[in-house]
Amino acid sequence: MFEQLSNFRNSLPSLRSFRNLPPLARRELKQATWFLSPWLFGFLVFTLIPIIATLVFTFINLKITDGVSSPLKWVGFSNYQTLWNDNQAGVNPSSWFRGGTPGALWVTIAFGLIALPVGIFLPLGIAVLMNNKHLKAPNFFRSLFYMPYIVPFVAAVFLWGGMLNSQTGWINRFLIEVLHVSRDSVPMWANSGAEEWGWIYGTYVMMGIWGIGNAMLIMLAGLQGVPTELYDAAKVDGANSWQTFWKVTFPMISPVIFYNLTLSIVGLFQYFLVPLVVNQGTGRPGGFTMFYNLYLYRNFFQFQNMSYGATLAWVLFIIILAVTILLFWSAKYWVYYASETRS
Amino acid sequence: MKKILSVLSLLIVVTMILAACTTPAAPTDAPEPTDAPATDAPETAEPTEPPASGDKVQIRWFVGLGTGTDPAQLPAQEKAVADFNASQDEIELVLEVVPYDSARDTLATQIASGAGPDIIGPVGWGGSNAFYGQWLDMTPYIESTGFDTSIYDPALVEFYQTEEGQVGLPYLVFPAAIYYVPAMFDEAGLEYPPANYEDKYVLDGEEVDWNWETLTEVAKRLTVDVNGANATEAGFDATQLQQVGFANQWQTHVAYQASYVAGAADIVEGDEGAYESAMPDSWKEANKWVYDGMWGEQPFMATGPLAGAPEFGNGNLFNSGKAAMAMTPLWYTCCLDQFRDAGFEFQAGVLPVGADGQPHGRVDADTIRLWKGSANPEEAFKALSYLIGPEGIETLIVGTEEVPAAYSGLPANPEYQQPYVDGLLKRYPFTTAETWDVFKAGLAYPDNPSAEQWQPNWNESWARQQTFFDLLQNTPPDQLDFDAEWDKMVEDLNDIYAK
Repeated sequence: MFEQLSNFRNSLPSLRSFRNLPPLARRELKQATWFLSPWLFGFLVFTLIPIIATLVFTFINLKITDGVSSPLKWVGFSNYQTLWNDNQAGVNPSSWFRGGTPGALWVTIAFGLIALPVGIFLPLGIAVLMNNKHLKAPNFFRSLFYMPYIVPFVAAVFLWGGMLNSQTGWINRFLIEVLHVSRDSVPMWANSGAEEWGWIYGTYVMMGIWGIGNAMLIMLAGLQGVPTELYDAAKVDGANSWQTFWKVTFPMISPVIFYNLTLSIVGLFQYFLVPLVVNQGTGRPGGFTMFYNLYLYRNFFQFQNMSYGATLAWVLFIIILAVTILLFWSAKYWVYYASETRS
Repeated sequence: MKKILSVLSLLIVVTMILAACTTPAAPTDAPEPTDAPATDAPETAEPTEPPASGDKVQIRWFVGLGTGTDPAQLPAQEKAVADFNASQDEIELVLEVVPYDSARDTLATQIASGAGPDIIGPVGWGGSNAFYGQWLDMTPYIESTGFDTSIYDPALVEFYQTEEGQVGLPYLVFPAAIYYVPAMFDEAGLEYPPANYEDKYVLDGEEVDWNWETLTEVAKRLTVDVNGANATEAGFDATQLQQVGFANQWQTHVAYQASYVAGAADIVEGDEGAYESAMPDSWKEANKWVYDGMWGEQPFMATGPLAGAPEFGNGNLFNSGKAAMAMTPLWYTCCLDQFRDAGFEFQAGVLPVGADGQPHGRVDADTIRLWKGSANPEEAFKALSYLIGPEGIETLIVGTEEVPAAYSGLPANPEYQQPYVDGLLKRYPFTTAETWDVFKAGLAYPDNPSAEQWQPNWNESWARQQTFFDLLQNTPPDQLDFDAEWDKMVEDLNDIYAK
């Protein structure tokens, strides 16, 4: 990847090369710039300047509710220091569970470890089923699995919230009235206590399954792109189903899995909506649903502590960047690009 | 390339110019009235010709922190502005309506940039606290203009006296009471809650105080399971409730519950830099009472999951017709249409007395405030006086058929209360004038200091208390150590205060 970046940088034209362009090319470039100018303008105003502004915020004491009564001060790395010592943020792993409360970063990682395998392997498994030549009416099933993805996620979360209501939800009613599970034994789902946080994360994962249609479709496209002659060759070589999947299918679709994995990891670090809707964003119980991005949201928008919120955002960016770089580094060991020779 | 760079530079310059051309910045330092203005304000010389619009002092009125953002509310607000502008030629009042969801951020940004509006509201205590320190002390202007505050209940004027001074004047008030369903009381063979604060309650033929103990007993008898048993009867199934006896309707916060049950209290002590939580033990006990009411062996209130269930109104519990009593302020009349349309009827009873034998009321109140950074506070106060004065009330609260009222609430000015009550009588035909007199009687018992009183880092401290209450609503006793959680909340509050 770094080599690619380096090559790309070397391929960029220098200032001198611009000057040496023929008149026609220069004119075309000028016109292209004019055509691009609305985008450049938007990029500057709505993206680049705000990004730089948030970086500046991290070094000042901007708390918006203080308003006119509090002059802005340069505070250096004080916000980063506060974040390092903030048990609730949990950026410093040694602060996890200090005072009995898990840090927001711990919550995010713990949930990610549960949700990530489900988010990758379940769509893969369904895609394999959808790709099975013996499946009747495959288009019907594909549409059926994709359909929930079209439903707005907030609506889906409310729906699940009703179904999983510990006292009146259909699922618990089914457990009690049909399966005769005792009322005291049915799960509290998202209302579970701190000691049963696993149930809460399980509930969230279950709600997340609702949205796997897109990942399934991408996996399916990857599966359908595997050349059939490879399967024929494997068959001739006497490979069984598992060997065919592991030695042929998986390497061939590993770029697709890599793509989904990257997006999922980034998405998990930004996990926010479900705990906000289901547990009202309070972190109940005992901070086990206070995800990092939710904590960031509360500081930024609810407490209007812009500097601290920006610091949380930049640290999140650095964490995601580090994890992504690690993932890209690991790709050379397990991602197979058929069309490339990888060093 | 030079040209390309020139074009890019031009774009950046244009961007910066556009950014600079937004709302003109007002002075960042709030001009404190150094001398109290003379009691007799100097008369302004009458202009020989009507001044051009540009000569007028522009006063911006920001609406969005509370009510006033619904499209149906705009015509009355616009009419009030137009009428005011037509009534004089010194001030041009400009209405700025910002959607509720983004109003706090918008106002905070405007204030932070020194371009805050002159007039802000209607806004309740909660909305105001988020901007503590930003409100203008109106005392000098009240005195200089001779604004008559004697028309209001003195308790309500005092309600707006904070460390910052007289930061508001009574405008819209929402006293609390107990809404109850007479049919459910009849079915349970119980007397209705008293309609006067001095009255006793008759329970099992005996006259007893209408206090929280009595209310608890009554609420338990009104809580019914699927088999028709009430919470005091043997065989009562607490896991399958069909009806609850009592609902703290949208009063789900540590401070609300405590103010009702234990009474108002200053909950912060110390000076700046050394603030500490001073929530009294009675507040802890009050919240424990609520917790037992939800999760105890004889529950009479809905837990979080139950109150959030569709069958129980998705949070609007009393409206679902599954609660016999609801304790909440007058603004709750906003949200009982389904209840009424389903054929239910309610009446109002007084709030119970506390352990000290005194009623502990709650009054939610909206007012219109002035920003202390306003460059033209005198003109802003003049415009405010109009909005909260007779003409403004006529347009904004009373309304006409052509232009219906913008705000729904009991005017603090008693002269204008009847039209609002008439509206309620029409909307809820089963109520009588006596129903609403119960609410009016509650004005004598405001929670002073308000349950929504200021605390350092208000947004965060209020949210921390909310989190605690949310935990109570949603966590059964086998998974919650109440005392430990309370102590943890107090500890967290002290940390938040110290930030």
